[in-house]
Amino acid sequence: MYSKKINFWFLSSLLISIVVAIPIITVFTSFFEDTSNYYQILKDTFLFEYIFNSFTLLVCVLILTFILGTSSAYLVSFYTFPFSNFFKWALILSFAVPPYIYAYSLTAFFENYGTLYSILKNLFGTGDYNQHIPKFDGFIGAVLSLSFSLFAYVYILSRASFLYQSQNLIDLGRNLGFSKLKSFYSLILPAARPAIVTGLSLVAMETLAEFGAVDFFSINTLTTGIYNSWITFDDLAFSNRISFFLLIFIFALFILENLSRKKARYHSNTKGGFKQKEKIQLSGIKAFNSFFICLIIFFLSFLFPLSQMLYWTLKFPENLFDLKILTLTLNTIYLVFLSSLVLILFSLISNYGNRVSKNKFLNILSTLSISGYAIPGVILAVAFITFIAWFDENIIQALGFFSIKKMFIGSILGLVLVYFVRFYSLAFNGIKSGYEKINISVDESSYLLGYSKQKTFMNIHVPYLRNSLLFVVILISLEIIRELPITLILRPFNFETFATTAYISASEDLLEAAAAPALFLILIATICIIISSKYILRENE
Amino acid sequence: MSKKFLEIKNVDFNIGGKAKVKNASFEIENEGETICILGPSGIGKTTILRTIAGLEKIDKGSITLNDKLLSSKIEHIEPEHRNISLAFQDNSLFPHYTVERNILLGAEKNKEKKTQKISLKEIIKLLDISKILSKYPHEISAGEAQRASLARSLLTQPDLLLLDEPLSNVDQSFKEEIQVALKKILSKLKITTIVVTHDSYEAFYLGNKCAIILNGQIKQFDSPYNVYHFPNSIEVVNFLNRGVLVPAEVTSPKSLVNEDLGTITGNFIKPFPIGSKVKLLIQPEDLQHDDTSNLKLEVVDRKFRGTSFIYTLKTLSNMLIPVFVHSHHIHQHEVDEKFGIKRPINIDHIVCF
Repeated sequence: MYSKKINFWFLSSLLISIVVAIPIITVFTSFFEDTSNYYQILKDTFLFEYIFNSFTLLVCVLILTFILGTSSAYLVSFYTFPFSNFFKWALILSFAVPPYIYAYSLTAFFENYGTLYSILKNLFGTGDYNQHIPKFDGFIGAVLSLSFSLFAYVYILSRASFLYQSQNLIDLGRNLGFSKLKSFYSLILPAARPAIVTGLSLVAMETLAEFGAVDFFSINTLTTGIYNSWITFDDLAFSNRISFFLLIFIFALFILENLSRKKARYHSNTKGGFKQKEKIQLSGIKAFNSFFICLIIFFLSFLFPLSQMLYWTLKFPENLFDLKILTLTLNTIYLVFLSSLVLILFSLISNYGNRVSKNKFLNILSTLSISGYAIPGVILAVAFITFIAWFDENIIQALGFFSIKKMFIGSILGLVLVYFVRFYSLAFNGIKSGYEKINISVDESSYLLGYSKQKTFMNIHVPYLRNSLLFVVILISLEIIRELPITLILRPFNFETFATTAYISASEDLLEAAAAPALFLILIATICIIISSKYILRENE
Repeated sequence: MSKKFLEIKNVDFNIGGKAKVKNASFEIENEGETICILGPSGIGKTTILRTIAGLEKIDKGSITLNDKLLSSKIEHIEPEHRNISLAFQDNSLFPHYTVERNILLGAEKNKEKKTQKISLKEIIKLLDISKILSKYPHEISAGEAQRASLARSLLTQPDLLLLDEPLSNVDQSFKEEIQVALKKILSKLKITTIVVTHDSYEAFYLGNKCAIILNGQIKQFDSPYNVYHFPNSIEVVNFLNRGVLVPAEVTSPKSLVNEDLGTITGNFIKPFPIGSKVKLLIQPEDLQHDDTSNLKLEVVDRKFRGTSFIYTLKTLSNMLIPVFVHSHHIHQHEVDEKFGIKRPINIDHIVCF
């Protein structure tokens, strides 16, 4: 019986699960290892600060993203007003601006003698404006950067939920004599609660994983703690210990997100009783207010960082000429190509294996394998180095082979492997959602029409999954273009991407030089989002 | 022993390791016949079709088609190597192909056969799917998808056609028309067919024989007429829900007596010793209305069924009995009124348990 279950599909899924599990196991085992005295000092001093800052940042970002995400989703889902159709998809463009680039823009605009100062000077002449210009740096800067960059998670999921809410629900509210506001908070919001919780969980995971923005504003959080104890103090073990605390946070959120996801479709389009919602046409001051709210959110989340980066790129053109655009683009394409190839190949194998083998254990393995997306990039990178160092020393060299460290650390292979762990869930779930639309009886019809399993896969599955595969490639591209900590830690010497180039310039206090790569990053990411907006917004469902 | 076209012998039909129908045996004597499998939802009707198609394996019994062993504990011919077509209840059209392309795949499988018994045009016309040919599966209704799927299956000209609730999603107004068309095609093509349905009228219309599945077993396998008029168990009576069982005592080889209805005469399907206490099946057609009769029962309900009314009458001992009356009958009775039953009561075939 067992020999039947251990087949190609099983072994592939097992391999993926092991690769994903390595960083988690490494972090947990490292927690109980000895470390330098630095750990004791930190335990008594900074560790509490790391946890406190991470937690406070999390709460503030969750509150702000909830307000921004649900209010904008409510307006575009329930009402028609000038440009409402434009805002519907324009609001997701904020994904193109990673929090660290938002942080650069915020600083560049509000700093002493920054962009705002220049504007005021041009408008009103020379004056002592610096002391009146608010400084959105430090903690507030981090909260704003993360919130405007991440609110789209809440926006997309609550909008999808609002979209599938039946007109009956709204009619029910009217019938009970509820005002629009009361209908919103007592009927519409509770019905969308699972989707909103899922969106907020994603925001929470991204916030806890964020490195670039908090590092830029010098906020001591768990992620910067992990990075600094590795870079500054060269203490991998302590790095892993902080990772342990962060993972506990993340796992709690992961469980919460999974629980809410299970219920996320209870209000969706079901047979019978569903009545397509009719949008209310707004006019006059109400239309203007709705338009203005969406415009402000769109401006602050996307146009503001884009124009700030564009302004500086044009103001300091020498940085643009110094930028090796072709090399950076080719590097990005190279990473995207290799990662997509590996991710899609294994995701297809795993999904197809689940479909044809109907093995419950295989299903459990697949579920475990997608947990990698919840683990912050910094943890993955540090844990990966820890594991390779241990494996090299205790297994490879002990057996008398040459060291494999260089093969994995500071190499494309290592980078792609860690990207694989981090983004496997994207590829797996993207293909899975495509597969879910193909009824299993379609496969069976194909067999009965005389097609073999291979022919069914090639002639039925692959053509049908073509759009899903394209979508997965775009999502992977988007993530890799924006990704910072993994690339920063594991990239080969002198191998840069737009993200690392911008980060290095910014960390050397050369914000003007960071503008050009940041601008390119935003533009490429924007193109990816525009291509995939139909899928992201679930317009085709 | 005569040769059977399809023979199912002592098979346990399993799905996901669970036995749905145990130790089942039935056969199709001749090529071109249609049998229907009737039973409540979830009883295992679809599992039977899936197993015959080769999508599920068996570990007991055997399935033989045209003298070729398809499934047994040690033998399993893969579905793609059996010339059996299964039209699924849900939408099984290939989502990225148009309806026309989907249907043509059926014809492609069949292209090596020299004789085309029916053309694509004929099938399209008979199933009325010309308007949806250029559409994709997600653009058509569930009923249209079922008809397209049926067309694809028919075009493969299989040795055995399996239809799983083929018309469950088709509109009621259109259903009868499609049933007639389907029966005509099956008879013209001489395709041996097994139809799974929970609609007894559909089964009685389409099938040469019907198998009634209840509680994991085939309870009766017989012609539609016999299944309806001569149900072989109380379970079948209850499933068909076409009559009630009333207590009676056998008084002679051709009569019995019920305390409310009096003496009832007729031919026993199965003999019972005189004096036996039995349960007599009374179907709506068995009793006749007669306003002049002195046997009056109280009307407790009246259901209008288009061509007829079904009255539910209450006897003195509080039994509820259904009686059929043509809807053009001279006058109708309201609830609480008295309703006369013609005496003496004679039932052509007496079914007792």
